[in-house]
Amino acid sequence: MYILHLIMTAICLTLALVFAYLAIVSKDLLMAVVFSAAQSIFYALVFYLLLAPDIVLAYVAVSVGIYSALLVFIIRKTERYEKV
Amino acid sequence: MSNSIELFIVTFLWTYIYLALLAIIGLAIYGIVFRPNILKKIIALTILGDTANIFMIYVGYRYAYPLKPPILWSWEPTPEDISTFLAQSVDPLPQALVITAIVINLAVTLLICFIAVQAYRLYHSLDVRDLAKLKG
Amino acid sequence: MKRMEHIIAVGMVLAVALIAYFITHTWALGPIPPVELRGIAKLYLRGMMSKTTPFYVSSPEAVTSILWDYRGLDTLYETAVFFLAIIGSVTVFRLLREHEHMVEEHRKEIKVPGMTLIVKLITKLTFTIIMVIAAAIALHGQITPGGGFQGGAALAVAPLLAVAALSRYFVEDVGLKERTALALRTLGLAIIGLIALVPLMLIGLGGIAYFMQNLPKPWARYVGFPQWLYDVPLGGSLFFYNVAECLAVGAGFTVLFLLLSIPEKIYMKVIEGEKGE
Repeated sequence: MYILHLIMTAICLTLALVFAYLAIVSKDLLMAVVFSAAQSIFYALVFYLLLAPDIVLAYVAVSVGIYSALLVFIIRKTERYEKV
Repeated sequence: MSNSIELFIVTFLWTYIYLALLAIIGLAIYGIVFRPNILKKIIALTILGDTANIFMIYVGYRYAYPLKPPILWSWEPTPEDISTFLAQSVDPLPQALVITAIVINLAVTLLICFIAVQAYRLYHSLDVRDLAKLKG
Repeated sequence: MKRMEHIIAVGMVLAVALIAYFITHTWALGPIPPVELRGIAKLYLRGMMSKTTPFYVSSPEAVTSILWDYRGLDTLYETAVFFLAIIGSVTVFRLLREHEHMVEEHRKEIKVPGMTLIVKLITKLTFTIIMVIAAAIALHGQITPGGGFQGGAALAVAPLLAVAALSRYFVEDVGLKERTALALRTLGLAIIGLIALVPLMLIGLGGIAYFMQNLPKPWARYVGFPQWLYDVPLGGSLFFYNVAECLAVGAGFTVLFLLLSIPEKIYMKVIEGEKGE
C-alpha cells in the first residue's frame, strides 16, 4: 500500500517534468502559460500525496489562479511571440 | 526475502523522485539563463521556486506504513493518543516554512511583472539584449 | 521541430529512470528513506493540546500553531514583505489626479460593458459562493487545514472573475474602489500589529508578558487569550490573526486587479504628454 502512494507520486512528477520542458521550450508565450498551469496542477497532486493539506489550498489558488491570470493580462499588454 | 525486495523497490522510487526534481531544477535554470524574453524568464523563475518547495516537503516524508497528516483527531487527548500520533505523523515544520516561501515568491513575481510592463511602455521591447544597449 | 521536442522530453524521462536504477542496484548511497521523526518535530507535536508540557498552544492543528505561535515573528515579517510588494506595484502603475478624468471618458465610450448575459449571471452566482468558501477556510484555521493566507488567496479569485466577466466599472459601482480596497488592507495589517501588542498592554493586570505571546507560560504568566468558545477550541490569538490576514491579503489583490484592467491607450497618452514637454 505504501508503494502505491510512491508510484503515484513518481507518475505525477514524470508528467510534471514533461510539461515543464514544453513550457520552457515553446515560442508562443500563451502556450507556455498553459503548460505552466498544467505543471502546477500535477504539483498540487504531489503536495496532496505527500500529506500536506495546508499547502494544497494555498498553492492551487496562487499558482493555477493568480499566476496564470496575471501573465495573460500582461501578454495582452505586450507581445505574444518571442523572437529567436 | 520479501522485506529486501520491498526495500529495493522503495529505494528505487525514492531515488527516482529525487532525480526527477533535480532535472526540473536544471531545466528551470537553463530557462532563466538562455532565453532572452523577460516573460519566459519569469515563468522559469516560478517553476524553480515551486520545485524547491516540493523538495522541502519531501525531506519531511517518512518510511512508515499508516502515515497521516499532522492534525490531532481528538480535543482531549490521552497519553497513548499522543504516542500513536507521534508514531504516525509526518514532519510539520517544513510545511510551515513552505507557506512562508510561497508568499515571498508571489510578492517578488508580482513586482517583477509590473516593472516589465512599465519597461515595455517606455522602450517598446521585452528583449533583454535590446534593454542592455540603452545608455542612461 | 515539434517532433524533436517530444522525443527529447521522453528521452529525459528514460535517462532519469536508468540513472535511478543504477544507483539503487549498486547501493551507492545506502538505504535512503528515513524511519524516525526528527527531535524538533517531536518537541512541537507533543505540546499541542496537552497541558502537561510548558509549550501548550490549545489548537489541534500543527501547521497553523507553528506559523502563528512557535514561529510567529517569521509570519509577521512575511506579511510585511507582501505589504511592501503591493506598495511597489501600486507606485509603478499610478495615475495622477489630473489624469483620472481619462478613465471616466473611456467609461462613457463603452456602450455595453462586459460579456454576454449568460456569463454575467453565472459569474454573479459564483462570486458569492467563492466568498463563502474563503470565509469558511479562514475562520476554521485552528481546527482543520486552512488559515489566514489560504483564505486570502481564495478570496482573491472572486474580484478577478468579476473584473474579467463583468468589467471593472461594475466592481467600482458595487463599492470596491481602489481607495476603499487600500483602506481595507491597511486596516487588516493594523489589526495584526495591535493584537501583537496586546500582551504588553495587559502587563498591568499582573505578571510578565512578551511581544506576540499567545498563552501563559510558567516563566511569563499573564491573563492570556481565550482558549475555548463553548466547546470548540479557539487557539488563543490564532483565530484573530487568521481573520485579519485573510482580509489584508484579499483586499491587496483586489487593488492589483483593478489597476491591471485600465486600458493601455490611457497610459500611452500620459507618456506621450510627458515626453512632449
